[in-house]
Amino acid sequence: MGMAHNNHAKTLPADLGAPAFVDGWKTRALAIGLVSSVIAALLAFADGSIDHVLRAWLLGLVLTFGWAVGGLALLMVQYLSGGKWGLLLRRPLEAASRTLPLVFVYWLVIAFSLKKLYLWAAVGDVGAALKSGWISEAQAHAIEFKRPMLNPTAFFVTGLVCFAIWGFYTWRLNVLGLERDAASPATTPEWIKRFENISGPGVLVYSITMTAAVIYWVMSLDPTWYSSVYGLLFLVGQAYSVLALSIIVAISLSKGEPFKTILRPTEQHDLGKFTFAFVMLNIYLAFSQFLIIWSGNLPEEIPWYLDRIRGHWGIIVTLDFLFHWLIPFTLLLSRDIKRNKKRLVRVCQWMVFAKAFDLFWLIEPNFKDAARNLHFSWGILEYVAVPVAMVAFWVAFYCTRLQTRPLVQTNDPHLAEILEPEHVHA
Amino acid sequence: MPPREGTYGLLAEFDTPGDLVRAARQARLDGWRRLDCYTPYPVEEAAEAIGFHRNKVPLVTLVGGLMGLVAMFLLEMWISVLAYPLNIGGRPTYSWPAFIVPAFEWTILFAGLSAAFGMLALNGLPTLYHPLFNAPNFRDGATTDKFFLCLEALDPKFDLVETRAYLTSFQPVSVVEVEY
Repeated sequence: MGMAHNNHAKTLPADLGAPAFVDGWKTRALAIGLVSSVIAALLAFADGSIDHVLRAWLLGLVLTFGWAVGGLALLMVQYLSGGKWGLLLRRPLEAASRTLPLVFVYWLVIAFSLKKLYLWAAVGDVGAALKSGWISEAQAHAIEFKRPMLNPTAFFVTGLVCFAIWGFYTWRLNVLGLERDAASPATTPEWIKRFENISGPGVLVYSITMTAAVIYWVMSLDPTWYSSVYGLLFLVGQAYSVLALSIIVAISLSKGEPFKTILRPTEQHDLGKFTFAFVMLNIYLAFSQFLIIWSGNLPEEIPWYLDRIRGHWGIIVTLDFLFHWLIPFTLLLSRDIKRNKKRLVRVCQWMVFAKAFDLFWLIEPNFKDAARNLHFSWGILEYVAVPVAMVAFWVAFYCTRLQTRPLVQTNDPHLAEILEPEHVHA
Repeated sequence: MPPREGTYGLLAEFDTPGDLVRAARQARLDGWRRLDCYTPYPVEEAAEAIGFHRNKVPLVTLVGGLMGLVAMFLLEMWISVLAYPLNIGGRPTYSWPAFIVPAFEWTILFAGLSAAFGMLALNGLPTLYHPLFNAPNFRDGATTDKFFLCLEALDPKFDLVETRAYLTSFQPVSVVEVEY
């Protein structure tokens, strides 16, 4: 009497390493990276300056930084929250966190080009700059007032401290991740506690350091403007793009083992819902910031929006609203799309593009030639060529990181559940 | 509809969702169409196993949400532009950014209520009586830890003796006959 109830569970394949096709991704990414670099160089010649290369470089930095450090943050959040969706993503997120050296190199380029990008770095003598009409009175006041914070030394020190902290957490979590798998299953409860104890403070430290980073890197492009929600906006934006990337990676990996075995529609659906939540939170924060500044209508704050709405920028911000929110929102509402591998990947690829588009809208109008004046130049095309090249090289590096370890963390109580048929734990 | 009499169906009880899903899938394959699964929590595979098709809840939710959006936006426009125009900081009376938040809240509110009540209505609730309540094991187990498959007497394949033997072949905990 009684059927065998538990013999329907799948078993993990013996080889948990990255499938062979990851090599193909790497080659393709390198090729795209090289071609885009050549295009970027040609565009710089056509434009006759590297100003836009650096601006676009900043976009690429923020995007890849979002994946590397945002991936680290999502990894820590997952250790705190638990959940089967996270067991899937642990190794891909660990791999993303180990791309930090490349992001650091990207950052160095910005750090050594401060004068080309940041008004506060370019202006030495505020009085003379004001007299010559280079900067406005508001800018002169802001640059002088914020000098203790906005100066090259502070930029360097803050950046180095942030990278050191992220590096520390990346190192800890990655080393312990392997040790955990080598340990006996009897020690699992201790490991869970241990990871929680690292990740709890880690998430807090991360939110502070990344707030500092984006204030220096992006917000300070306009020295007069400030927004108290800025760090949170980027934090949520990182979750938005990290989840999109993770879904693309998990589904693409599921064409081969071991992800073929462990990626079930249930967890894919969960990840889709999670992403949807961040699509919502993202527009919530972005719109709150706009509504508050629009309501206040103060001369210290409103020019930032006017720079980004007037002079045809209104077209970009309208498209940004559609690309960044409305399209992912409406598509991710659908249960069928969230459960369909191909379509969900398409939506996530779109979200990565939308994130870059949003960053373009955030970065470019900071500069005098572009504020309230959207116009064509060869240079503006760098916003396509440079980030594509940077992302491509990042992806190639990420592939090598994926190939260095097994793709599944095995010492986890969720592993047995993820191998069971879905109706067992509905 | 006149009150029905006689047998409503045969109810098989299982201990695990896995057994239920396998039995339901097989029954559907064998041509059963008047059948239903009863579980203490949602088991999506059971719904798929008996050929559950799409329902209208998403549509009801969408229409409800859009109604909320339009209703609130129009209400705000009517108040601010027509009924009680106020000069607030020199802004135009039609200041759409300020209307977004309440309009969004109403979208969510109406969509949520439409989903909840639409689901209840499309489920045929409230229903005060169901024949399955006559089965003591159903009363005790359906909302706690038991999984049930009911093959209904309305199905042309139904035969009290053969169907009982058929259900028994799935090795359930029990098979009971349910009266209307």
